[in-house]
Amino acid sequence: MALMANALAVERASLRYGKFQALKDVTFSASQGQLITLLGPSGCGKTTLLKAIAGFMPLDSGRIDIFGRDMQGVPPEKRDTAMCFQSYALFPHLSVADNIGFGLRQRRLSAAEIATRVSSVAEQVGLSLQLQKLPGQLSGGQQQRVALARAMAVRPGVMLFDEPLSNLDAKLRDHVRMEIRALQREHGFTAVYVTHDQSEALAMSDLVIVMRAGVIEQMGRPEEIYRHPVNRFVADFIGTANIMPVRILSRDQARGEYHVTCPLGQAVIRSATPPVGDHLYACWRPEDTVVATDSGNDNRFTFKVSARTFLGSLCDLSVSPTEDASVCYRIQTHGSTPVSEGQTVDVVIPPDTIRFLDEAIA
Amino acid sequence: MTKLLFSRNDVYRYLTVLLAVLVFLIFLALPFAMAVLWSLVDPSHPWAYPAVLPPVLSLRRWAEIWTTSALPQALYNSYALAACVSAVTLLLAVPTAYAFGRMEFTGKSTAQMMTLIPLIIPGFVSAIFFSALLIQLGVYSRFAGIVIGHTVSLLPYAIRLLTVSFTMVRQDLVDAARDLGASPLTVFRTAYLPVLKPGLLASLIIVFILSIEEFAISYIVGAPDFVTVPTILYSYLGYNFIRPNAAVVSLILVVPNVVLMLIAERLLKSADPAVVTGKG
Repeated sequence: MALMANALAVERASLRYGKFQALKDVTFSASQGQLITLLGPSGCGKTTLLKAIAGFMPLDSGRIDIFGRDMQGVPPEKRDTAMCFQSYALFPHLSVADNIGFGLRQRRLSAAEIATRVSSVAEQVGLSLQLQKLPGQLSGGQQQRVALARAMAVRPGVMLFDEPLSNLDAKLRDHVRMEIRALQREHGFTAVYVTHDQSEALAMSDLVIVMRAGVIEQMGRPEEIYRHPVNRFVADFIGTANIMPVRILSRDQARGEYHVTCPLGQAVIRSATPPVGDHLYACWRPEDTVVATDSGNDNRFTFKVSARTFLGSLCDLSVSPTEDASVCYRIQTHGSTPVSEGQTVDVVIPPDTIRFLDEAIA
Repeated sequence: MTKLLFSRNDVYRYLTVLLAVLVFLIFLALPFAMAVLWSLVDPSHPWAYPAVLPPVLSLRRWAEIWTTSALPQALYNSYALAACVSAVTLLLAVPTAYAFGRMEFTGKSTAQMMTLIPLIIPGFVSAIFFSALLIQLGVYSRFAGIVIGHTVSLLPYAIRLLTVSFTMVRQDLVDAARDLGASPLTVFRTAYLPVLKPGLLASLIIVFILSIEEFAISYIVGAPDFVTVPTILYSYLGYNFIRPNAAVVSLILVVPNVVLMLIAERLLKSADPAVVTGKG
């Protein structure tokens, strides 16, 4: 049997508005049941890409296949996609039930079939009691659910989410995020999810695509993206990262051990993948640091604490090397660690938590 | 703590309202009442100086004008014209307003300015040359000539009103309807019509009213024998000035328009932005 076609395949998609290159050679694919997030700052092309998949924006070049079918020239109404809009885009003069059933009526299902599907979808998103209301009578969270239910009701091959949670307050956001993921797992629909919120992307996705200026910077599982960012942009955009230039002093490729100089002094980096050159960037995460308890560790550095933020279980410290106050790093310690501003603290950065970025310095 | 019954702002607000009501009474309600009285003056008992009210009231003037003047024909002409003018105007204004309200193109603001020109040029000025143009073009039908003239001069109102309506249409609703598989007709009914409806009806009524009241073009293009209600009214004001007859024609001209205007007002008010756009 031939290989199952991908639910969604985007190949070398490019699009420009006048002089602005919104998308450039974007290529990725999603298999059935995957949730893919397009992550990036505003203006990175993620929403443009979503609209191109939905059919609202024709590509200048490249192609988009949905379930193996080329979508070139296929208008939005003929595509097997359904979008959850950032603004919800509910029809204000239609009841919740009519909003949810809108797509089904366009598909000419029988009234009975529509009623059954509407009530079952409404129940799944917890709107059973609101069906007769108008969208204006609902809270933001409820409106968001109507938008979700309306898109889900048509059982699209590919669900498209355009920052669906950005208008909700933080607590509701977490809740709805989990609900969307649960519904997606349960129904097995393929989803493309646009967000600028990296924690949302990490929490929900099977695959994260980090974009900048119309180009894919990195694509991978959330852990991969977080653990092995390829460049300064990704490292900095996903979570908090301390990024520093390093120069290789000696390399032991067989053991994967590299001695380097960096603004902290001399350090050891243990890495399975070799560095791209002799002078490049490396990064480490604040939470990987350990407050030194005994002497004689590798990568043991003394920092001066310039600011301390108590976060309950954790303590966030802004630190600088004792001899160079111009660079600043973030480290995290246990909430109970007795350090205060102005003090020095001895910290170990384990050699295998420092990652080379694929970004050489010219 | 004592609380004032009326704050200073309230006082100003009431004074403003009072002033508006007073102006309305003096300039509109009183003349209107006078018109009603004048139209009821009995022909054989003139209403002259010392009498505060007409000595005898009757409907004889109404009957006389109806039977002896061209008023029935003028009424028919006016309403037939207004119906044609509002239909043609809307037909032309909707695509134009769509372009102004929903599209971006170079020269858009210039084009928008251009469509307002008929508002600036006095009707008489354009009508004089317009009637000559019509004959040059071979349009000899007075009715068609007046329809064209009215349409041109009233288009700006319809275009303005409808452009605003079209800009209120939400693109995300258009997209959502398409995304869910709606045909162009359903997209129009779902995303456009609820927002456009009040504007469509209001511009229809306003164009209708303005066409009925229009005098300059009707008079010049229709001369000498094509009558409308305003041209009849004019004939009572000039050479042989008969105030009671003018009062009758004025009322026939104005009363239906006032009713229509009230309906238009209601329609524009019902365009509650929260219901139409979903934004509270």
